[in-house]
Amino acid sequence: MVNAKVFKDEVKKLIEKIYETQAANIDATAEIMTNAIKKGGVIHIYGSGHSVGLGIDITDRPGCLVPIHIMEMTDFVYYGGVSVEEFTDKVNIFERRPGMAEKLFNLYKLNENDVFVVISNSGINGIVIDVADLARQRGHKVITITSMTHTLAEGSRHPSGKKLYEFADVVIDNCGPHGDALLETGSVEKVTAVSSIANNVIAHSLALKIIENLTNEGIVPPVLSGDAEKDAALKKYYEGRI
Amino acid sequence: MADVKRQYVDLVLQKIDENYEMQHEKITKVAHMFGECMRNGGVVQLFGHKLAEEFVNELNFRAGGIVPFHAIKAKDSALRGLLDKSLAQGEFLNHPEVLDTILSPYVLDDRDMYCLISLNGNEPFALELAKRVKENGQKLVVVTNMATYKNSNGTLLDYADEYLDFGSGDPDQAVEINGTYYGQWGTTIGAVVAQQITAELYNYFMEKEGAAPVLLSANLNGSDKHNNDLVVKYGGKRIR
Repeated sequence: MVNAKVFKDEVKKLIEKIYETQAANIDATAEIMTNAIKKGGVIHIYGSGHSVGLGIDITDRPGCLVPIHIMEMTDFVYYGGVSVEEFTDKVNIFERRPGMAEKLFNLYKLNENDVFVVISNSGINGIVIDVADLARQRGHKVITITSMTHTLAEGSRHPSGKKLYEFADVVIDNCGPHGDALLETGSVEKVTAVSSIANNVIAHSLALKIIENLTNEGIVPPVLSGDAEKDAALKKYYEGRI
Repeated sequence: MADVKRQYVDLVLQKIDENYEMQHEKITKVAHMFGECMRNGGVVQLFGHKLAEEFVNELNFRAGGIVPFHAIKAKDSALRGLLDKSLAQGEFLNHPEVLDTILSPYVLDDRDMYCLISLNGNEPFALELAKRVKENGQKLVVVTNMATYKNSNGTLLDYADEYLDFGSGDPDQAVEINGTYYGQWGTTIGAVVAQQITAELYNYFMEKEGAAPVLLSANLNGSDKHNNDLVVKYGGKRIR
């Protein structure tokens, strides 16, 4: 059955499952990120398609950590020499390309203490896998957020034949279904996607754990307060990197 | 003290229930408004920036979503060199005079209706767009966060035929750590509301037509043809 109430009840079960099965992975990730922030590192978030929402949700508002940088797909066009025609296509073919990560990394000022979070529900496409692969080659810790159910059910579109989770120091499973849509309709077409909801819950759980870790160590977490002067000073510290 | 992650999850679960109780009838009503527009050949034009854009992205060309939505995004103009990219990052919200520029890449139609997402309801760009929509005699749904809206003296609801509420606080901060609150949940509830609309919109199509135009994840084998066929059927450039 499909309706708003059924969705509400099912998505609550999904969120509970994320907590029950992924709490240890979120804690392990928070530990890595806490250490990175203590050393002046920045957390780079890369997600294609709807996955970019995770980054948007935990940046640039009061209560959010400052050393977070969203690697925007649009940067390919703004700064990376990719034409708008190549970038905007009907069915997101752009995100399947391998070999674009180097181009993206060259647009940013990266530091050896930086950590990468690469998000893809399917974990099978070219760019996300290249970003994770290149980050690891360069010695960065890599966290991947993916649907293990989906990624194990589909073939890789990357020349290596590998999936995103195979390049991770820690894998966080968003516990979402194959194809992202949660509710069965009795046909191949399922409805109501859940990865954004799941990713938001994971992202805020992570941020809270990092803030708690820093606080427990007596370190003032680098968090936006809403005080314009203090926030500007914090952003200045990470200028050019976030 | 309970695990901060547990505290956050408990709050989100509670707010999902509260939001459903508060407005599930309105969610169904909005879904039916969208469905009626789509069945009459219209597209639901979505607009929201940054946090509000998350709600847009939940409905626009989404796996398991319904097809005839289209997103109005300032970055589409910036990518085409029509709008300065620094304006497109957010400052455009204070510049209602760029409305025509931002709408210029799109194929809009009088049969369309609009859904504007604005948490504070006072952004001059969104107000100008809402005014234009009503002058054209088109339907308008506003999605806002009432606590923020009231604190910001929002006026966007003056133009709305119906509205929905994220129902989060202002500020939206959930869990206390050492005397300060962190961990936002409003946009997560917003995403749940968007997917509840999808569920009810699917039902609407099934009831009226016995079939619904549902997109498959682009990351499923064979989905490209299915999705491309739907894009062509429901307006081509009007939606992509």
